[in-house]
Amino acid sequence: MLLSTIVFLPLAGAMLVLLAGGRGDRPEREPLVRNLALAVSLVAFAATLYLWWVFNPSEPGFQFVENRPWLPQFGISYHLGVDGISLFLIVLTGFLTPLSLLCSWQSTHKNVKLFSFFLLALESAMLGVFVSVDLFLFYIFWDAVLIPMYFLIGIWGYDRRIYAAVKFILYTMVGSILMLVAIIGLSYAHGAATGQQTFDLTQLYGTALSWQMEKWFFLAFALAFLIKVPLFPFHTWLPDAHVEAPTAGSVILAGVMLKMGTYGLLRFAFPLFPNAAHYFAPYIAILAVVGIIYGALVAMVQPDMKKLVAYSSVSHLGFVVLGLCSNTVQGVEGAVYQMLNHGVSTGGLFMIVGMLSDRRHTRLISEYGGIKAVMPRLVACFLIVTLSSIAVPGFNGFIGEFLILLGSFRWMPWMASAAAIGVILSAVYMLWMFQRVNYGEVTNEKNRSLPDLSTREWALMIPTVAMAIFMGVFPAIFLRAMEPSVMKVIDLINGVAR
Amino acid sequence: MNSFAATIPILIVVLSAIAAMLAEAIRHPGERMYIAGFGLIGLVGAAVASVFLWDSDAVSFGVVRADNFALFINIILCIIGVLTMLFSNEVVEREGLPPGEYYALTLFAISGMMLMASATDLLVVFLALEVLSLAVYVLTGLRRSSAGGAEAAFKYFLLGAFSSAFFLYGIAFSFLLSQGSTRLDGLAQAIASGPNATLAMLAVSLLAVGFCFKVSAVPFHMWTPDAYEGAPTIVTAFMSTGVKAAAFAAFVRVFLSAFEPMQGQWIPVLSAIAVATMVVGAVMGVLQNNIKRMLAYSSIAHAGYLLLGIIAANSAGKSAVLFYLLTYAVANLGALGIVALLGTAEHPHDELRDFAGLWKTRPALAGMMTVFLLSLGGFPPTAGFIGKWYIFSAAVQEGHFTLAIIGVLSSVVSVFFYLRIVVMMYMTEEGAVPARPRVSTAAMAGLGLAMLATFYLGILPTRVIDYALQSIQTIF
Repeated sequence: MLLSTIVFLPLAGAMLVLLAGGRGDRPEREPLVRNLALAVSLVAFAATLYLWWVFNPSEPGFQFVENRPWLPQFGISYHLGVDGISLFLIVLTGFLTPLSLLCSWQSTHKNVKLFSFFLLALESAMLGVFVSVDLFLFYIFWDAVLIPMYFLIGIWGYDRRIYAAVKFILYTMVGSILMLVAIIGLSYAHGAATGQQTFDLTQLYGTALSWQMEKWFFLAFALAFLIKVPLFPFHTWLPDAHVEAPTAGSVILAGVMLKMGTYGLLRFAFPLFPNAAHYFAPYIAILAVVGIIYGALVAMVQPDMKKLVAYSSVSHLGFVVLGLCSNTVQGVEGAVYQMLNHGVSTGGLFMIVGMLSDRRHTRLISEYGGIKAVMPRLVACFLIVTLSSIAVPGFNGFIGEFLILLGSFRWMPWMASAAAIGVILSAVYMLWMFQRVNYGEVTNEKNRSLPDLSTREWALMIPTVAMAIFMGVFPAIFLRAMEPSVMKVIDLINGVAR
Repeated sequence: MNSFAATIPILIVVLSAIAAMLAEAIRHPGERMYIAGFGLIGLVGAAVASVFLWDSDAVSFGVVRADNFALFINIILCIIGVLTMLFSNEVVEREGLPPGEYYALTLFAISGMMLMASATDLLVVFLALEVLSLAVYVLTGLRRSSAGGAEAAFKYFLLGAFSSAFFLYGIAFSFLLSQGSTRLDGLAQAIASGPNATLAMLAVSLLAVGFCFKVSAVPFHMWTPDAYEGAPTIVTAFMSTGVKAAAFAAFVRVFLSAFEPMQGQWIPVLSAIAVATMVVGAVMGVLQNNIKRMLAYSSIAHAGYLLLGIIAANSAGKSAVLFYLLTYAVANLGALGIVALLGTAEHPHDELRDFAGLWKTRPALAGMMTVFLLSLGGFPPTAGFIGKWYIFSAAVQEGHFTLAIIGVLSSVVSVFFYLRIVVMMYMTEEGAVPARPRVSTAAMAGLGLAMLATFYLGILPTRVIDYALQSIQTIF
């Protein structure tokens, strides 16, 4: 019951928030609603930490399994489980939700009740994605994630929010709905082969498929996940969604939702269709490398900080996909680790951009300059998060990117070399932005009297900075728990121990 | 067994319709009377009778058969009727519709729909079709002062009469084919025993034209947007769900029992129609700015998805049609019900921009509207998702991958226009719209029930799917 509790606790909290908010838009209940939502998300975070505590790191398979028939006519079950790959994504979701509630504490005043409701409902759906072991259940959570996010962007976003929200939902749906057809097809193919229709992932692994079927099913799954990641050239929804989303939306979008794509590749697309995965991996990896460099180059020329961070996500997620495609222990482990790192560092960057734009109501780099003299504390945190994002040794990003490059070098050296250019470029665009915003003289008079970090903002920055350093210094704590599950997935992809 | 048992649900509804007529006759002018109550009693009674008849497979007069399939449709129709009655009281009063006529015709239409679902003789199908059609034609034009309503009713009537003629012609060929019988079992035998291919083909295609018209499949859909827009909104809500349920019930029964051996001939034709229906419905819906027209095209698209269930022609497909009709009925009636409840005689509240900022002033209505639209769009965890999944998985099971892919893609297109309404409600500032009328507790209760059903069917559909599976075992 532990996993069900973790998944549905935020949703129950969301309902509670809705009740506590009273009828209509009641500004006087705002503090109550905010504190209640934050309390719920903190309890949920504590629950995910407890899950980590009781998790057995040496067990490769699913733990805390709950398996109950749900639609027995079709072999659909309510099957939850967690392994070393999903464990930390769950903890990351728990970690980022309170932060995203907290970072919109001052900037969001329009119907806080509904805002908190959607954020908590979103958390439930995302947690559901990571614990589902039944394909049907997974798809339900996967699609359910879209609705709260759509509202978060559409109601509380910036000027072009409606365009961005609709683009986001339609773009993602096109990919995922084809995956739905493939899921159905796969389950019938399994039924035809074994006489037992099922949507249970553990049984579907190793289903014998004709090459035609396997190819098309893989492409349908991969398309859904690659749009979500987003991999070049399916990334065009991302800058719009990120730029228009409120800070909390960007933090969750970059921090957790993009990882649903890479997680899906690793958990579903590759091991379910190993032959197709081997066949297509080089092509996907080429797209990933193109995305790494393209994302970095486009990020470099962005005048808008938020857009810059958004394109940097395209580049960073390219690394993750490259690591997954390499199908080596280091590469995949690095990819999973990099998913977490990206959540922490990009989440942190979006929070910092949010803090600046809360004060100045602009995100244009040219509006800033010399901020270090005005807000030394914020800039100190900014520096640490920047360094973690560009993978300086000693910070979390280094471990992830290093492992990915190591793994992909063993697989295809020239691919790793090309990707390494991306590491350099990321230093160029991030540090250049950092320099333009923070160093030099204060060029804009409006920036002279900006207040430094408030207590609330310290509460945002301390955990983020602490995680960036902690994960950079003690990666073994995380990697040890991942390794057995990663090995198991690689075995599945390589067809060992079927 | 020859008894009246099979007709009991139908008779109960007919009685309540007569009661509604009498009530209108004895009503003093200006006296307010809750005529909807007769309808509610009759429909709940019919539903209870249907539950009691479950598994009994009663046959009356050899041509009306209350098998589980018909009873399942009966219950869907009762749900449609009850929700319509709950919404009607205030709408009828506000829009100045003649109450006696409105309730009596609605109930007669429901009795015709029930008869259509249980008929096992083509002539009885035709009889039922006419009973429901005539009532619905009149309901469409019930606002006598409205030119749009009259135009809609006239268009609907002319085209409907035309399609009835096709249908009747189809019956005539079937009569010839089975040498003197219009009963479905006789027809099945005649076709199984090596039919006259040309004759059988003529019969099948003429009947298909009649059915496709009633379910508004492309290219027989032309009347739908006009009729839906011109009719009083509450009638639109009723006919977009009820007529579709009844027509699909007869469609499934005729095509998947009597004409099942001829699958090879009609599946390609219906496939083409289904593709056209899904694509035209979804694409044209995007272009609409009037919600009733938009939902008319949406109902066309849904007819396309339902056709996939018939094309799949397997047990999953048949029960998926039943399940889908239920999910569609609840969500569509809910959505159009909200449009009806917000309208007044002067201001119909059916343009997209009328919904701007609904969330600010009516959060509950906006929330429920969102749930219904998400269900129509097929989002989990609502009923619409399970319905779509069931239909498409039936198609995939038979290897109709292309149809399923076209279906899911067109459903993504349709999501675009459902979201336009959501955008209006939540993300656009309220414009200068006339004050929206209050919604009564009864109507809110009806909407609440519809929303609960939407979530129930979306989260715990097992039991209802079981009933749907049982329903189809009795006849095929």
